[in-house]
Amino acid sequence: MDELVHHFLDHSAERFPDKKAVFHGEESATYAEIVQAANRLANLLKEEGLKKSDRVLMAMENSIASIISYYAIIKAGGVVVEVPDKSTQSEVSYFINDCKPRIGIFSKASARRLDGISIPMIITPAMEFANPNGRYIEWDKANQLPATDPAIEIKDNELVSIVYTSGSTGKPKGVMLSNRNISSNTSSIISYLGITSADRIMVVLPFYYVYGKSLLNPHFKVGGSLVINNRFAFPNVVVDEMQNKEVSGFAGVPSTFAILLNRSIFPKTRIPTLRYVTQAGGSMAPALTARLMEVLQGTDLYIMYGATEASPRLTYVPPGRLKDKLGSIGIPIPDVSISIKDEHGKELPPGVEGNICATGPNIMQGYWGDEQETGKVIKPWGLITGDIGYKDEEGYFYTTGRKKEMLKVGGERISPKEIEDVLIESKLVHETAVIGRPDDFLYEVPEAFIVPIDPKTFDLEDVKTYTKQRLSVHKHPKYWHIVKSMPKKSSGKIDKEALKK
Amino acid sequence: MSNIQETIIEFIKENFVMGRSDTKIDPEESLIEAGIMDSTGVLELVEFLEATYSIQIEDEELIPENLETIQNIVSFLRQKGID
Repeated sequence: MDELVHHFLDHSAERFPDKKAVFHGEESATYAEIVQAANRLANLLKEEGLKKSDRVLMAMENSIASIISYYAIIKAGGVVVEVPDKSTQSEVSYFINDCKPRIGIFSKASARRLDGISIPMIITPAMEFANPNGRYIEWDKANQLPATDPAIEIKDNELVSIVYTSGSTGKPKGVMLSNRNISSNTSSIISYLGITSADRIMVVLPFYYVYGKSLLNPHFKVGGSLVINNRFAFPNVVVDEMQNKEVSGFAGVPSTFAILLNRSIFPKTRIPTLRYVTQAGGSMAPALTARLMEVLQGTDLYIMYGATEASPRLTYVPPGRLKDKLGSIGIPIPDVSISIKDEHGKELPPGVEGNICATGPNIMQGYWGDEQETGKVIKPWGLITGDIGYKDEEGYFYTTGRKKEMLKVGGERISPKEIEDVLIESKLVHETAVIGRPDDFLYEVPEAFIVPIDPKTFDLEDVKTYTKQRLSVHKHPKYWHIVKSMPKKSSGKIDKEALKK
Repeated sequence: MSNIQETIIEFIKENFVMGRSDTKIDPEESLIEAGIMDSTGVLELVEFLEATYSIQIEDEELIPENLETIQNIVSFLRQKGID
């Protein structure tokens, strides 16, 4: 049987207590330090009334504290609901309303943004807050508690986390992942990437994002180490640290590589220790992949495909086949099966387009509190990923499009409907359509077309201000067009294809 | 306040601080840590500086010392002969 998720930390702390598990700027922590801090925090959560299967919200940028928090929540029998650290109050209110967390853990920066929300807040590092309606618990309070495991009985079919992902309905859906889901996917990842305790990965992707989390768990399971760097805004700083810290791995989404290749010292820098690089989070233009291969002489490049609903990895291209399978998402990872099916679950032959479906122990338990949406994607024949594609004669898979109308900004899925709903809510916009505009670095960015309710008094700045208060930065439309009317299809629906032209 | 500083603040407000806002940008504050700019924001800023001041910014120059705060940007431009 696979280990439970918190055992990754426990077992590595037994085998490598004094090994540095995480480096972050000037700070670092050993496995023993992390397990003790996680046990203390788990005991604090228990003392604060956390019960088995209670949800705990997390809004933190990557840090040693965020890793401690993740394992602490699981050890305390809780379910991790990690949301983007830059979430706005109204986004977080939605998450709180939806899955009713008992308590939350926040970084200082997130707490500043979210002060006044309705759940008790554990904040690190400690800071003064004066909101009379708020309830604050000092992180340091955990230091007075025992560093022993709270010894909660946890089973492998129980939930470890709920990960929110944009849904086609415009409302984010909570993907429920169990111990078995994450543990089996972690083992598969370790196996096809060949990760060992000697590996050290540079992490620039946020842990709230499943791809980021899929860097943490495999390294903790084998007793490897992570280097956290949240300053990819200056990629040269990251490249320098990859060299100085002698990392063996690096992971990015297409925009990460577009920036590294086009505007950084990466192509001119030799990192002799770099064993492998992974790319997921949307399809990368084959031309960019080819350039990356050129730059990465001697380093393996893994092109991968996955879904939040799959914990998240599904396929990879073995580096040796990358050249002749350029543009492919590869073959299934260990323990996963992928097939192309029609609407009724009938398997389609090679070369024929259909739904990309997946089965395996990594497929989610469903969407939190939403059986209807769950039923739409979990079929007796597997998970419907929402991507359309085909396989070739050798069993390599290719994506050709998306079924759902979703934008891919950076590595993140965004629902245009969520943005449109907010624009309409402003009561300034009569009709609107948001589409994806191709972008060299982010793959695509939101572009909004709006028909004002009152063109005479309409001021775009008011709409922008309204949007800013309600949506995270990456959801803000980058381009705006004020139009008199929208092109319509015969059904009366807005013709987004016409807008794209 | 220098003219360059005003131009940069105006660009940042217009592009990264969405909507009508009287947000004050502290010239010494990190634009990254304040959540005003991210990795693509830095690149947009660089494009803007290159176009506005007809200069070439090398990849090696895309470092915090040159671009992290308004003050750093202003002195970086000075080094490049823009006053």
